[in-house]
Amino acid sequence: MTSAVIAEFDSQDALVAALRAARDAGWRRMDAYAPYPVPEAAKLLGATGARVAWIAIGAGLFGAVLAYATQYWLSVHNYPLNVGGRPLHALPAFLPATTIVAILWAAAGALIGMLALNRLPRLNHPVFAAPGFGRASEDRFFLCLFAGDPGLDAREALYLLRRQKPLSLAELPA
Amino acid sequence: MSSVEFSTRPVSDQPLRGDFGWRFAAGVAGAGLLTLMLAYAVVALLLRGTALWGTNIPFVWGFDLINYIWWIGIANAASLFAVVLVLRRHGLRTSVNRFAEAAALAAVAAAAIYPILHLGRPWLFYWTVPYPATFEVWPNFRSTLVWDFWGIMSHVVVTGLFWYTGLIPDLATMRDRAVAKGRMVQAQIYGLLALGWRGSVRHWARHQAAYRLVAALVLPMLVSAQTIVALEFATTLVPEWHQARLPLHVVATGIPSGLGVVLALAALLRGGLGLTRYIDDEDMHLLGKLTAAAALLCGYVYAEALLVALLEDATTRQAMAARAFGAYAALYWGGAALVVGLPQLLWFRRARIKARWAVPIGLGAAAGVWLDRFSLVAGGLVRDHLPSTAPLYAPTMPEWTLLLGSVGLFALLMLAFARFVPVVSMFEMRHEESEADVP
Repeated sequence: MTSAVIAEFDSQDALVAALRAARDAGWRRMDAYAPYPVPEAAKLLGATGARVAWIAIGAGLFGAVLAYATQYWLSVHNYPLNVGGRPLHALPAFLPATTIVAILWAAAGALIGMLALNRLPRLNHPVFAAPGFGRASEDRFFLCLFAGDPGLDAREALYLLRRQKPLSLAELPA
Repeated sequence: MSSVEFSTRPVSDQPLRGDFGWRFAAGVAGAGLLTLMLAYAVVALLLRGTALWGTNIPFVWGFDLINYIWWIGIANAASLFAVVLVLRRHGLRTSVNRFAEAAALAAVAAAAIYPILHLGRPWLFYWTVPYPATFEVWPNFRSTLVWDFWGIMSHVVVTGLFWYTGLIPDLATMRDRAVAKGRMVQAQIYGLLALGWRGSVRHWARHQAAYRLVAALVLPMLVSAQTIVALEFATTLVPEWHQARLPLHVVATGIPSGLGVVLALAALLRGGLGLTRYIDDEDMHLLGKLTAAAALLCGYVYAEALLVALLEDATTRQAMAARAFGAYAALYWGGAALVVGLPQLLWFRRARIKARWAVPIGLGAAAGVWLDRFSLVAGGLVRDHLPSTAPLYAPTMPEWTLLLGSVGLFALLMLAFARFVPVVSMFEMRHEESEADVP
């Protein structure tokens, strides 16, 4: 049984136009594929990078607190080491490692968080079965409409996408 | 019209080529030989200890520190160039950040060897990690050595992650191109590394957010990593090192070395791989002018050092004079000439475009910074105010082997990079071309 219809376009503008038409027709379960970032299309799909930023901020703060607390607890309570009578709690000496570790956590959080939000790695996906999808990573743009919402089935999708004059049109089994 | 008429196939086809020619093979053979020498030098050091080196009182720091700060400077400047390109949103020239970032990664790998070997008992390097040891001893967190551990580790991890994240969409292109060419083994390897990237517009939005965010985070990391290296010197009581200006000097002079290496690499890659259209004349102009400008900035830093030394207390003034006019004066002035003077040739158009000019100038600037580091480390430790001057520091054969070996490791990593992955960012290239068409 067909559960998705995918259309191939040769330009960013055609993709955005098709995406807009599909959205106006009430489609919500859809995705667009492009060989480079298309912010316009991302906006139509309601995708932003805001959550990545929040993950990075959270991870960075956690890293900072972890680094400072570790240094404080180990140097002051667990293993106080008297070096020439210098203070055990040494803010200036603790700051370099705190900053660097905070950046480490924030950067790793942003990049790993991005992959997690994207549900990657996922080596197989139904859209890979679309004919010619190999060029989605090179010079072709794809719009995929997933059937399932009431009143929005494969026939509707075919009808809508055909009017956008795609290069090719294919039905995908789920 | 925003369809993709621009093709990145010449870039993606390079790693899929069957044969890279005898020059490449000769390069790999040479770099591989040097890397074997590095392995030999490291094993010899582990077996015999630091007695193999020319270091002795008062020259307690030698080649290991010289080469460490030299490599980390190259890594930082190459990274700096890469992230500035990424952060200049909607600007052109973002795509050349790929090999700058790769050079940074290879340089960090070369740099990271030295502080470990410097420890004397390198196999105990994990003692700088705060782990719950059975003897319940912790590292001294007020020590610069521990800051350095965090600095290097973060540098390696963040640079590596940043580079790999930028690579994921291009690895997906490589996967699809390998399938199209029927090269299934390569397709599987690239496919695994691409993590199943399918170019979803939603994924792109998050990818770009994360990529730019990390680029912005790398900037302060570079400054602090390089500063920490300089602080290792500045927190000692050696008069020439114990100065607040040292971090500025190390950060500023690091920049022409890294930019010089990136410039040389750009000239070699565009010529060697026939990518003149992808690393074009504008890129070379940008890089060349940046290198020349950074060198000019170093001129101010050098002048400031000499000028401020006149106003310093007697001890610091003597130390500075010993460095600039003492036994290692040739290194000091030679370094200054190569760092500040030589890159000024890059203000000429021809010198930026022609590889036979750009490569020697770029590598010359890097060599000049190496002389500067030598002068800083060895010249800073000169004790010429003692009645009997101690013998000077001269690197021994095992130390030279170690340096040549790390150059070989860097070259080998860069050759592997040029062989296996697209050397310029293909998706940035397409993005730039699509935006260039929009009126």
